[in-house]
Amino acid sequence: MSRRDRAVIFDVQRFSVHDGPGIRTVVFFKGCALDCAWCHNPEAVRPTPELTYWRDRCISGCRECVEVCPETALFDRIEARIAWSRCTHCGLCAQTCPADALVMVGREVGQRELLDEVVKDREFFATSGGGVTFSGGEPVLHSAFLGDFLPLARAEGLHLAIETCGGAPWELLEPLLPSLDLVLYDLKVMDTALHQRLTGKDNVQIHEVLRRLLARGIPVEVRMPVVPGHNTDDGNIRATAAFLTGLGVDRLSLLPYNHLWEAKLRALDTTRRPLGIRAPEPDFYRELESRFEASGIQPYR
Amino acid sequence: MLETSKGCVAQADAWVPAPDPVCEMPPRLSRLREALLDAPYSLCSQKAELLTQWFRTHDPGPPLTRLLAPWHFALMRGAMTRNLAEGQPQTRLQLRASTALQRLYRGLDRDGEPLVVRFARGLAHVLEQMALTVYDDELIVGNLSSQRIGAPIHPDFGGVLLLPELRSLATRRVNPLRTSEEQIRRLEEEIFPYWFTRSVMARTPLHSSDPTLANTLVRGRDFLLTQFAGISHVTPDYPAVLSKGFTGILGDIEAARRRAPDAESQAFYQAAAICAQAAIRYGARWSRHLRAQSARQSDPARAAELADLAGIFERVPARPARSFHEALQSLFIAHVMVHQESFQHGVSFGRIDQYLYPYYARDVQAGALTRERAVELLGCFLGKAAEQLPLFNAMATEFFSGLSSASGLTLGGSDASGRDASNELTGTILQAYDFMRLRQPNLHLRLHDGSPLELRHLAMETLKKGGGMPGLFNDATIVPALERGGATSQDASDYAIVGCVEWGVPYKSFPAAGAAFVSLPAILDDVLHGRDAAAAGDQSSGRLHGGVASARFADMDALWAALREAMAARIRHAVDGNESIEAAHRLYRPTPMLSLIVGGCVESGRDVTAGGAHYDSTGMQGVGLADVADSLAAIERVVFEEKRASFSELVAAVDADFDGHEALRSRLQLKVAKYGEDVGAAERWAERVASAWCELVAGHRSGRGGNYAAGFWTMTTHVGFGRRLGALPSGRRRGQPLSDGISPTNGSDRRGPTASLAAAARVCGNGVANGLALNEKLDPWFVAGEAGTRMMDDLTRGYFRCGGQQVQYNVLDAATLLDAKLHPERHRGLVVRISGYSAYFNDLTDEMKDDIIARTAHAGPPSSCASGPVCQMPPRDSQ
Repeated sequence: MSRRDRAVIFDVQRFSVHDGPGIRTVVFFKGCALDCAWCHNPEAVRPTPELTYWRDRCISGCRECVEVCPETALFDRIEARIAWSRCTHCGLCAQTCPADALVMVGREVGQRELLDEVVKDREFFATSGGGVTFSGGEPVLHSAFLGDFLPLARAEGLHLAIETCGGAPWELLEPLLPSLDLVLYDLKVMDTALHQRLTGKDNVQIHEVLRRLLARGIPVEVRMPVVPGHNTDDGNIRATAAFLTGLGVDRLSLLPYNHLWEAKLRALDTTRRPLGIRAPEPDFYRELESRFEASGIQPYR
Repeated sequence: MLETSKGCVAQADAWVPAPDPVCEMPPRLSRLREALLDAPYSLCSQKAELLTQWFRTHDPGPPLTRLLAPWHFALMRGAMTRNLAEGQPQTRLQLRASTALQRLYRGLDRDGEPLVVRFARGLAHVLEQMALTVYDDELIVGNLSSQRIGAPIHPDFGGVLLLPELRSLATRRVNPLRTSEEQIRRLEEEIFPYWFTRSVMARTPLHSSDPTLANTLVRGRDFLLTQFAGISHVTPDYPAVLSKGFTGILGDIEAARRRAPDAESQAFYQAAAICAQAAIRYGARWSRHLRAQSARQSDPARAAELADLAGIFERVPARPARSFHEALQSLFIAHVMVHQESFQHGVSFGRIDQYLYPYYARDVQAGALTRERAVELLGCFLGKAAEQLPLFNAMATEFFSGLSSASGLTLGGSDASGRDASNELTGTILQAYDFMRLRQPNLHLRLHDGSPLELRHLAMETLKKGGGMPGLFNDATIVPALERGGATSQDASDYAIVGCVEWGVPYKSFPAAGAAFVSLPAILDDVLHGRDAAAAGDQSSGRLHGGVASARFADMDALWAALREAMAARIRHAVDGNESIEAAHRLYRPTPMLSLIVGGCVESGRDVTAGGAHYDSTGMQGVGLADVADSLAAIERVVFEEKRASFSELVAAVDADFDGHEALRSRLQLKVAKYGEDVGAAERWAERVASAWCELVAGHRSGRGGNYAAGFWTMTTHVGFGRRLGALPSGRRRGQPLSDGISPTNGSDRRGPTASLAAAARVCGNGVANGLALNEKLDPWFVAGEAGTRMMDDLTRGYFRCGGQQVQYNVLDAATLLDAKLHPERHRGLVVRISGYSAYFNDLTDEMKDDIIARTAHAGPPSSCASGPVCQMPPRDSQ
């Protein structure tokens, strides 16, 4: 599915300070190997560019989009602007919309174009020990593209990290490793059946890929996206700690839960439903950290 | 050892380790700070009264002038009130008649003693008569004005601009000043009527080719010329005062005088000698006064302090300083004397951690000075420097909000060989500032590759507490800019900041750095409407609805050519006006006191106003750079590339302030990447406009013999110009503030600080001879902790590696600012960075308060995204 010369990304975010060391630029690839119930970037799941509709920005009386839509999928009423069933995500309306109410998420980039974007902050990478992180979606699904891109970026002297859920086959990740300085590796939940239910896939391969990765000796930072009530029970914490200890890993990054993704759903062509989890208080994380510590795992702070 | 968490001064290995870091604010400094924050602001007319007294006695003027002037004054007063207070332009007839009368007065002036000598004698009289006041707890004395915090009026320059507002000064809403009935009476009846025929303000029109210049300036749309008020903006050779004393300087004057070639320089030397002698007598006066105060003092500890000070004044400023305390006192009293001559703006201290260090080190080594004592003395000094205000009328208050006298004080940096020049005193001064946290002086820190990590982190820690100081300057890009401007590399490497951000060679330059501010978007507006920018000053704001006129731009090249030509014309207009002001200074208001302590003047026998300084230049600032760049990028994209609107449609929408054109405005604003997003097109335009500006400005020479020097700093002129300008193609609405300095427009830095810093670095360059200011606002949560300190340092160094020249950080959260606007009483000492200077938030106009609040904070609340830009808006259709 992945092409060598082009890839669909949905953002290049500069000045990221949470995805690896220093000041980083994060490239978000579109398309994912999992389908997590709490996905923070629901607009990243579909592998192709897609239309989003942000009703609050729409200018009343403006109907430029209605006029350009070749599928008659757009209507005059701001509250019921789109018939998603007819929309082909061609993007003509987004080009026309003066208000950024209709916005395409995802665009194709070529190797050179992406390189030009990620080198913009190279001086800041240099002063902060930062670099570029490839995220998504699941960047490993773009292995063919990255296989060419990473050596180019490396030749520019950039520190390179990838952020993966491990849901892609080892054969796709493996060829990328020689050009990578760091792998940020997500573990969601230990119980295989629960993993299947929450993410659409079991975690057998995910655990296997992590094992192989660690065996290669490349720096790996294991991370757990905290989903209160889903992976924060004692059973999961103990199981995660035991699994990591077994692999010789004694540290873990806890990624705080953010419920803002639910607000995006309204703008998307999706059937995904909100989970209704409130963002927990900071005390919750302190307590969580100490429970991991008690199990022999030191969280990164 | 670095103990920033406790607020202790950090020490780098490269520094002399200080034995006793000061962690607690000395109680004396707490009391001084409170007293300063409590002191009311007052109008000071002491210098005006004393100088006028001397002149009315010794130089009353010819009888015919005395006969005509009161009548002329009364007539003009009415016209001036209407012009200044109501914005009603003066008629050509009025202006011509007034100029004719001024020409007559000038012709009637009798030959007497040379003018420069008269002004020297006048200054000597002021120094002999001015009140001496010692306030509680002070260890450094001297009075910049007759009140604790005063705004002196200078009738010999442009003080008459205050005439229509004198009676409302005490009750005006923004920056009220205490006045007295008697003070106002004297100004109205004795002082202004005298200077009305001979001030800089009065005589400027005699040298201007634009008869309606006064109207252009009051209109405040196109450009501002500030030097009616005085030139100031200079770093005097205070180190020479410390090392030679005025006795030594007097010796230099006498030696040079014997070689003086002509009557003009003879006159200058005579004046300079009078000033130096006056300075020596002034010190002696202080000594006697302090001795008497000490004798009257019931508290023996305080009596001893005053007696010590009396002893110090027996020595300085007449003779070379020997101790740190003598040096600081000598420095401050010289600063006081300079301000009895000319306007309170931008008179700066230079690299004080360099020239004070020998005194400091010697005392410390001899065991005569502890670090606590040094901090205490420095705190007293910083407090004194905050005691004065510039006097602004209502219009100037809008353009220069915040009451900053902008006395710059430069720290750190490298020496001529590129080695780090910072020392223990550098950190000690930062520590003293951290305790005082007053709105001025302006702290500036020079940084280079060899700046110690501990010093950089100490600066960031200081910035993190708010207040916006120190401003940060990049040696690697500023030194070459000065060399290109003509400075030797030795001199360039010794640069210091004048006023806000104006880099220059200290101690021997007369940079006139704040001379002119030009609205760049107003030029673009004229071009879009087919108005002739050269004639713009002469029109009474009638807007031609120029859809047709502007249709002549077939492409961006045509538009750019017209804009460049219009910029050149506007610069010529402003230069012409400024030259007339500078001619008036040169011919009618020399400043011998300042001249004798600006390097080059004593050697050349010429006043600073006549080009006596070793280096000369005149600063001209471009205001609203980002607005022009954004507008050009928007026109290029929407009109020429996408053809979604015609030129005429665009101009019609702009003229309608986008009423009924919401979709077009939205497209211009949202669908075109703005300067600061670092996407490309807007930055290219910013670069193009900036380099054209620098080139065109540098093509002019001043009457003093120096080049005009381009800058991009705004004070709050971006608010004043913005209020007087219609909508712009960038989507900015009528009346909204323009962008400040080289900062992106508010809200256009949404791609984070690296993008806006990298974008800003592109307009920095060797052509920027007069400084620039970049405001970055950072949220306190973001820079919290050691990681935040490192982050600020990493950002700064990254920006500097990109070619950046200056940046200033405002670390404040919007909630605090909003609360301060609602409850000023709760935020008395809240200092915010404005442009190249800081001010108490409470001293700002409402518009400026809103502007500060609107300046985007980078990055929202902590992103807790598992992955991805959850907290961001969705990415938009990139170019």
